[in-house]
Amino acid sequence: MKVLSISPERCTGCMRCELACAYMQSGAYQPAKSVIRVAPLEMHTSYAPFTCFQCDEGWCMTACPVDAIAISAVGAKIVSDDQCVGCKLCTIACPYGTIFYDEDTHKATKCDLCGGDPACVEACPTQAIEWVEGDAADWLGEFAARRAGTDLTGLAAVE
Amino acid sequence: MAGKRHVILGSGTAGLNAIRTLRQLGDDGPIVLVSAEAPYSRMVLPYYLARRITEPHVTTATGRQLDEWGVERQIGRRAEGLDTQAAKLRLDNGEDVAYDDLLIATGSSALRPPIPGAEHARCFNFWTLDDAKGVSKTISPDAHVVMVGAGFISFTILNGILERAGRLTIVEVAPRILPRMIDDAGAALVTDWLIERGVTIRAGAEITRIAEQGQGLRLTFAEGDSIDADLVLMATGIRPNLGWLDGSGIETNQGILVDEYLRSNVDNVYAAGDVAEGRNRVTGAREVHAIEPTAMEHGRIAAANMAGKKIAYPGSLLMNIVSAAGLDMASFGSWDDDGAEVIAAQAPARRAYRKYLFRGGRMVGAILIESAGETWSGNDVGMLKGLVQSGVDLSAWKSHLAERPFEIKKPYLATGTTARLLPETIIGQPSPAM
Repeated sequence: MKVLSISPERCTGCMRCELACAYMQSGAYQPAKSVIRVAPLEMHTSYAPFTCFQCDEGWCMTACPVDAIAISAVGAKIVSDDQCVGCKLCTIACPYGTIFYDEDTHKATKCDLCGGDPACVEACPTQAIEWVEGDAADWLGEFAARRAGTDLTGLAAVE
Repeated sequence: MAGKRHVILGSGTAGLNAIRTLRQLGDDGPIVLVSAEAPYSRMVLPYYLARRITEPHVTTATGRQLDEWGVERQIGRRAEGLDTQAAKLRLDNGEDVAYDDLLIATGSSALRPPIPGAEHARCFNFWTLDDAKGVSKTISPDAHVVMVGAGFISFTILNGILERAGRLTIVEVAPRILPRMIDDAGAALVTDWLIERGVTIRAGAEITRIAEQGQGLRLTFAEGDSIDADLVLMATGIRPNLGWLDGSGIETNQGILVDEYLRSNVDNVYAAGDVAEGRNRVTGAREVHAIEPTAMEHGRIAAANMAGKKIAYPGSLLMNIVSAAGLDMASFGSWDDDGAEVIAAQAPARRAYRKYLFRGGRMVGAILIESAGETWSGNDVGMLKGLVQSGVDLSAWKSHLAERPFEIKKPYLATGTTARLLPETIIGQPSPAM
């Protein structure tokens, strides 16, 4: 199976992945509609793109009370808009925080791997997101841990 | 040789997940489903009330699906007794059903408070599909609806009521709303939000009498004053459906006591969902968690063990999310642990509230409240679940969270929470498509 492999050290925080994803998901260039989210680290001097791992359990899928989440041909857990009632149960079942609720459509929304041709990969100018054969892994953990103690000093946190 | 004969009692979330899991695991034994009601999802009834979905949408397994799974059915039947020696279930029509192993997933029933007049036709529970149909038929655009009980169930239908009725009053006997889902500070924030949106809230108030008044009802308070309602919704608690087990020898407390394999004190009798009292993942204590995700996980674990796998359950995680008039509120784990170390913060301008509870370095519970627009602009709801579920050591991050309580992504990522979670599955293998 192919996975979205993320190399945070290559990410420049340009947010093109978020815009491309938002457009693919909703037809609008609204970062809030993106299901890949770029986390700023070290006061916006490094970045960590984060999206669904298409995990083995499929916590969102098994939690859904109306079987609205299926597995696609490329191994993505995908939400059926016809079936989803918008109860948000999947959003508390997913321990990664990578399934969302769209207030305009009243449906859950998540990474569907764009049917096998992920827009975020195509949009990334630095190959921080790649579509490769392999297993999902904790792409960001060590990167974030190394940067844990390096907050810039003398600046107030932006809340 | 055909597999064991499995009898599944109850067609709710636990029962249906058990049936599906048996077949997913390749168990080809006969399955008999005994259920008082046809299979449907309680979880989505609020959307039926709000007219977002129609009745067929609440069905969770059609006859065709059950045929495909090869399930023999006794729908409309209740169990009246259990003989564990003979391995037979006695049904309410006098018939006996023999089993090799039995899953009790009889769920729970809504309580009707002992208020004189509470049995009036304009007083409803909101628990079964029939309840939902009754409310849906009776409610009208100019109706004044009074909800008695301000718990999770009431809040799931709050949006539907606001859409379909004229006015809403919430009456709660406890001093505040949502006493079993969020804390005092959170409840205060939610109360203000709802009052601003025209909802009347009367907490710490007891109704002593309900009587007919013209076309509607008059509710009298202990203080002596009264309000008139067109429709009364009762959501004052639920109780596991256990009474029929009296004298069966099955050990019960609040629910049927089950071990890590969801087995009762009788080897070939399992229990799952609202009727089971199983391990709490965070505290290790045995508790009834009458929530949808626990029913689903219980049903699947019980079925895996009935299919001959030896799958232990680490325990269920208490979790709830509900949205009321655009405000999302979620809580996880031991959110009400009085002995925990607490980090809490509000961002008043955003109506946002966070509370994190720690035992040592472990986050044992959390509360999140904020407007829906804010919630879904981040990953925090699920990440909080991941932190409580994985039990990662956050010792080095408490000072960070105390200073920046709205920045949980960094501690989540840096503690390798993802790496801890990725290998975990409920029944020890990747989930097939549902």
